[in-house]
Amino acid sequence: MKTKMDFPAINDRRPEGLKEDGTPYRVLIVDDSMFVTKQIGQILTSEGFEIAGIASDGQEAIDKYKELYPNVDLVTMDITMPKMDGVTALEKIMEFDKNAKVVMISALGKQDLVKKSLLLGAKNYIVKPLDRKKVLERIVMSLKK
Amino acid sequence: MRVEYINPFVESAYSVLKEVLNCQVSRGELYLKSTCTPVLGVAALVGLAGDVEGRILFDMSKDTAIKVASVMNGEELKELDDLGKATITELANMITAQAVTKLHDLGFKFDLTPPAIFTGDNMEVTTAEVEALIVPMIIPYGKVEINVAIRERI
Amino acid sequence: MSSTMEKTIVREGDNKTLLMDQGNLPAKQLKQDFKMVTFSLGGKDYGIDIMKVKEIAKFNQFTYVPNTPPFVRGVYNLRGEIISIIDLRIFFHLPVEKRKDGVENGLILRLEDYIIGIIVDSIDKVVGIASEDVQPPHPIFGDINVKYISGVVEYNGTLYLILDVEKLFGKEQTAQKAPSLETLEVSLGAKPSVGVSPRESFPTGQTEKDFIRETLKTFKSFHVTPLNERWLDERFEQWRSERGKQGRDLQIKSAEEADDFLQTFYSPYSDAVWPEEIAESFLELIQELSGRVFSVWNPGCGKGYETYSVTALFLKKFPDAVVKVWAMDNDLLAISTAPNLLFQPETIPSYLLPYTVKGKQGVGITTQLKDRIFFEYHDILHVNVVPECDLIVARDLLSFLSPADQAKVLDEFYDKLKPKGILILGKNEEPIDGIKWVRIPNKHFSAFRKNIE
Repeated sequence: MKTKMDFPAINDRRPEGLKEDGTPYRVLIVDDSMFVTKQIGQILTSEGFEIAGIASDGQEAIDKYKELYPNVDLVTMDITMPKMDGVTALEKIMEFDKNAKVVMISALGKQDLVKKSLLLGAKNYIVKPLDRKKVLERIVMSLKK
Repeated sequence: MRVEYINPFVESAYSVLKEVLNCQVSRGELYLKSTCTPVLGVAALVGLAGDVEGRILFDMSKDTAIKVASVMNGEELKELDDLGKATITELANMITAQAVTKLHDLGFKFDLTPPAIFTGDNMEVTTAEVEALIVPMIIPYGKVEINVAIRERI
Repeated sequence: MSSTMEKTIVREGDNKTLLMDQGNLPAKQLKQDFKMVTFSLGGKDYGIDIMKVKEIAKFNQFTYVPNTPPFVRGVYNLRGEIISIIDLRIFFHLPVEKRKDGVENGLILRLEDYIIGIIVDSIDKVVGIASEDVQPPHPIFGDINVKYISGVVEYNGTLYLILDVEKLFGKEQTAQKAPSLETLEVSLGAKPSVGVSPRESFPTGQTEKDFIRETLKTFKSFHVTPLNERWLDERFEQWRSERGKQGRDLQIKSAEEADDFLQTFYSPYSDAVWPEEIAESFLELIQELSGRVFSVWNPGCGKGYETYSVTALFLKKFPDAVVKVWAMDNDLLAISTAPNLLFQPETIPSYLLPYTVKGKQGVGITTQLKDRIFFEYHDILHVNVVPECDLIVARDLLSFLSPADQAKVLDEFYDKLKPKGILILGKNEEPIDGIKWVRIPNKHFSAFRKNIE
């Protein structure tokens, strides 16, 4: 995690994770790796985001999303997971909520996967290894769409 | 192992290790080993499927694993606990996935399975009927042997 | 057979020096890089670097020279050259057994400045060891002055003291102890005369041939067995007369000389695409094959020239068939270049032309042909995963395996080949087990079929 280089300068800029009314965006992190959920969690909370929940496979992701709905603003979704993969989970979540904002975060960067995810409704696709700046940029961008 | 598969794995290992550990990474000479694979202490295994079958094993000593996990987490780990194991597993996952992505671009359709991690002394991992390509990667924290065993579906 | 020794060695990779645990490298990587001729002297076993030994000799007639130290038994006429003969047992004050037949066992040594003969109790054999196994000498090991021992090594339970013959007989030493050769010659009034045929017994060609076999193994990992023995016998005679005419001695003293010797062994067009004439012979060979799907195994394919030739020719002969070729080599550099091999336009034979395409850097092979070939980095001694084969092309491969491995791989070829399949070996190779295989007469290829009725 590259945190040393890109901490925001101390100024009056509002943290990216806060909505205009001051409340934090709530994010559901989906990944089967404890390390990755910790990493994404740290990046997000450092910018004021709130971690609404964590799921470690596709099925759990769908269940958690339905539970949290409508108090969940964004989902970060890994692809390679046991039981149900991230692309299938994405499809099901979009079925449940056509306005769901899902950002794929995967170590795989295959073109066909990227295309499929975006076609299914994902707002963005981030390839690991994770870069704090890149993650924040893409998530903020996705929230605005 | 098919020659076209070699470079993607070597390049991915180098690239991911360099990016994630931000340290000096060098590669030892590649060589072939026959099936019985003794393990250095910690082994992260990622399965491969698709046009081929096989697996990649990331082999390192426990000491190296702890150091690597510590660097990746930005905090010093005293032992290889669940977080440490998850970290090493994720490292294996990233290297394999990047290689699979490159291979996909070259026209080879591979898929990877979720990784697993094994720790212990005197472990042996045997993949029936395949020889393994060893790519030794040298980093300041020790050696990581990337052990690739792939067989074409005849 | 993997070594269980943990060793750290320094290896070069990417122009950086790095450390690597040798761990489980296959045993053959710990090379026998030192060969010595062993002999006994005063009840102890010694060895001399084979590179310093010109030949083994049996001396039975010396010309005694007066006024020389007692260890100089005399001089000897070695095919026109006068050499001193030193009795090492007397030199080292060891007990000497007087032989009844007056024939002494000795070695002719080739030192930096001259040739000299030494007498020992008996000559044993040529032994190969790894130079890293040689230990520094300890006075307790020998009764001759330790400064003449360069090291000690154990082989098969016997301890050998390695004699440093340069130290022993170097100019400095012998100047004090023995007259120079020139003085000897002058006092004898002897001049080397080419026509002199010595009455003494000379070492037979057999020992010299054995020396050559050993050096081929050392320098080129080339093992002589019934696989290629016929070629060696012929080549040896040829080499002997060639060298004789040039006035050079027989022994192979360097990798370059070994390469020279091996020149007539290699199959033609190993590293080049097959020209029309060879192609014709090959087509003749495979015309007997039948089927719609052909599997070809091409171990030791090197850069791939052979592979592309074979595949294109199969397609020429059987245009409607499905051909799959498994081509492999354990030379990583060579096999890595195979998928992208480029050709010179002038060298492309007609059968390959339809599968070539002009690129920026030269003429390459089309995917239509390449898709049928799996190029693999593989060690044939590991598990081979290939289907039943119609054809196995393994030219000049087996000769570079140890005798045990040669047999093992040949057996595997036998098992993996279909009943009507064809095995192609190197031009100068033939199966060790003659009974299992039948030669197929062919102008350019050493080809065989399984001997089953």
